[in-house]
Amino acid sequence: MPLDVPARAFALPEGVDPGALVSFLGERFDLAVDPPERTDHTVLDTADRRLRAAGAELRLHTHRGEPTMALAGRPGAPPLTATVRRRPRWLAGDLPEGPLRDRIAPAIGVRALLPLARVRGEVRPARVLNRDDKTVVRLRLATHAAVVEGGEVPLTPRLEVAGVLGYRRPFERLVSVLTTEAGLVEAPGSVADEAIAAAGGDPDGVPSKVRVPLRPDQRTDEAAVAVLRALAGVVEANLPGTLDDLDTEFLHDLRVAVRRSRSVLREMKRAFPPGPLRRQRDALRWVQAVTGPTRDLDVQLLEWDDLVATLPEDRQAALAPVRALLERRRRDAHRALRRELTGEAYGAAWGGYRRFLDGDLGPDDERPDAAAPVVAVAGRRIRKVYRRMVAMGEAVDAGSPATALHELRKRGKELRYLLELFGGLWPGDEARDMVRALKALQDVLGTHQDREVQADALRALAPDLAGVEGGPDALLALGAVVERLGTEQRAARERFADRFAEFASPSRQALVAETFRP
Amino acid sequence: MKVVATYNIKGGVGKTSAAVNIAALAAADGLRTVLWDLDPQAAATFLFRVRAKVRGGGRKLVRGRTDVTDLLRGTDIEGLDLLPADFSYRHMDLVLDGAGRRTRRMGRVLDPLAEHYDLAILDCPPSISLVSESVFDAADALLVPLIPSTLTVRTFEQLSAFVEDEVEDPPEVVAFFSMVDGRKRLHREVVERLSTDRDDVAAAAIPAATEVELMGVERAPVVVHAPRSRAARAYRALWAEVRSRLGI
Repeated sequence: MPLDVPARAFALPEGVDPGALVSFLGERFDLAVDPPERTDHTVLDTADRRLRAAGAELRLHTHRGEPTMALAGRPGAPPLTATVRRRPRWLAGDLPEGPLRDRIAPAIGVRALLPLARVRGEVRPARVLNRDDKTVVRLRLATHAAVVEGGEVPLTPRLEVAGVLGYRRPFERLVSVLTTEAGLVEAPGSVADEAIAAAGGDPDGVPSKVRVPLRPDQRTDEAAVAVLRALAGVVEANLPGTLDDLDTEFLHDLRVAVRRSRSVLREMKRAFPPGPLRRQRDALRWVQAVTGPTRDLDVQLLEWDDLVATLPEDRQAALAPVRALLERRRRDAHRALRRELTGEAYGAAWGGYRRFLDGDLGPDDERPDAAAPVVAVAGRRIRKVYRRMVAMGEAVDAGSPATALHELRKRGKELRYLLELFGGLWPGDEARDMVRALKALQDVLGTHQDREVQADALRALAPDLAGVEGGPDALLALGAVVERLGTEQRAARERFADRFAEFASPSRQALVAETFRP
Repeated sequence: MKVVATYNIKGGVGKTSAAVNIAALAAADGLRTVLWDLDPQAAATFLFRVRAKVRGGGRKLVRGRTDVTDLLRGTDIEGLDLLPADFSYRHMDLVLDGAGRRTRRMGRVLDPLAEHYDLAILDCPPSISLVSESVFDAADALLVPLIPSTLTVRTFEQLSAFVEDEVEDPPEVVAFFSMVDGRKRLHREVVERLSTDRDDVAAAAIPAATEVELMGVERAPVVVHAPRSRAARAYRALWAEVRSRLGI
């Protein structure tokens, strides 16, 4: 439970003089006005605003000539600061060890901190005192501007009010005066959000998921195109970060959006004209293919530390050349990706895909599902893919090849995307419950498949390792890593039966048939 | 959350001054800090203009029957909260004597605060008692103010030995010189010799200064009411040492 420190932020109506407001409050409260403070800082957050989601606010400013990060504390508390190196972006590992990093790292995960907006302004602090001259409420009158190309954009002047722990009543009295007597209203969003918007960004961050409101009776082609446009938006929003290689998640989110788009095109194929559909599916498959090697290496590197952590220390040290080789390959792969995604082929493919989504899809007669209600088509596909998965899973036994599980996983992704993108068409929680059960199954299938792919990829490094310094030792240590991957793969397979049994239980089968029936 | 206690068996040696100044400096560094005034004389509580009253008194608090977060009070220093003193703390030993796992009791009171704070500073009453033993158990570091003299150093050594021998997971015990009068040769010599020779004596020494005495009048720590004074500089140096020793 958080401590009870209430806080509110009010917008100052246009034309209201902050000085007049201070006088107004001074007549009603014992007010101590402190000297004004200038601020000039850059708002930092991950592209998807993870810090904002965690209720945190991080700023970069210059303190005694050094770039300094300041993490806002609870209302009325000073920020936690740390001197950092100047960089275009910071991963958690780029921050100096200490409390600031300890607090930020869990929130940002693998994402990079990026400069999202620059803010300049003045803050006039004041305090409400009680009879003992003790501070019982803190106020900050803030006038800010976003620094944008070619000048400054003024932001809404605001009055921030923070309570003091254990002194709720004076806070409530002040807020009551501000809202009833002074007629102030809540400030629209935070200074950071306003500044990001003023700088042309989206305060909600670069999207990774889409939520498209659909009507059950909507034409399937219309609904599918609406979802595909939203997904295309995600691809486009994540492209610059992918090209600039700001962090691994831009590429990840781009690829997931492409994969979801391919899934929609496949599952709703009868709503589209066959010829153009084939071309667009080919185009998206190509995007997926040219971005695949970089993502595979990202996964290897992101999981590397955990993978080798259980090995004895000398083995871990011997693996340094492997990591270096993976990093080199990753750099090469990203260079190739960049070349492809900035090249003519991509421009033509993506342009063609956008025109396909924005253009006329042609007469309904060669698209049998086009005019059908989307709830009927999506329901049919969910039932069918689920039934197919049940059949495939039931056929899996101890002697089944790894490919059987891989194929099942691919179907699972199709089902998941259908449920996530179209599940909102059905009332109740069935779609969400299914996603949960499916995720549990997919985790096992994913581990099974990923460990095999990783082991193959590591084995493939052997020829290159042979020639480098420390190569023979690295090869020996690599054997232990591959062995560990094999063990994890076998363990995943052992967990499969239980997870599948839950996913394909008779009661769930009946529920799926009932919920998604035509 | 790290726990630092300012402790000395004697009174009037600068425990509360150290506690409030270090707490203020920690808060200014952005560490979420709470100060627990355990001394029934309530000097720290008075200094922060908070009423020395704990609902339910020390008994309910120590026995876990009061929600400790309801007792916290914000101070005039941003980021620093206070768990106030209460006159009933004078009976804390009796309360602890009747309680099970008595040396764990202070730690239990602090447990719910761990998610809210990076640092808790305990301003202990002068004595050696069950309260101090329970504080030794809860603390990561004991900060012991010493007035420079051969005898106080001997007391410090006895304290260190006691903590080492009797506490299951002993805190780091760090002494610092307090109320140092630079005009006295003995003070100068003792401070110089011991802070150089011994790892468990901080290099920073707090001077005897009017600004420290004025804290009660100004009702603010030296680092707030006289931030450029020699005493404030010394507290900053002491805090830097403590912070580095605690690794926070």
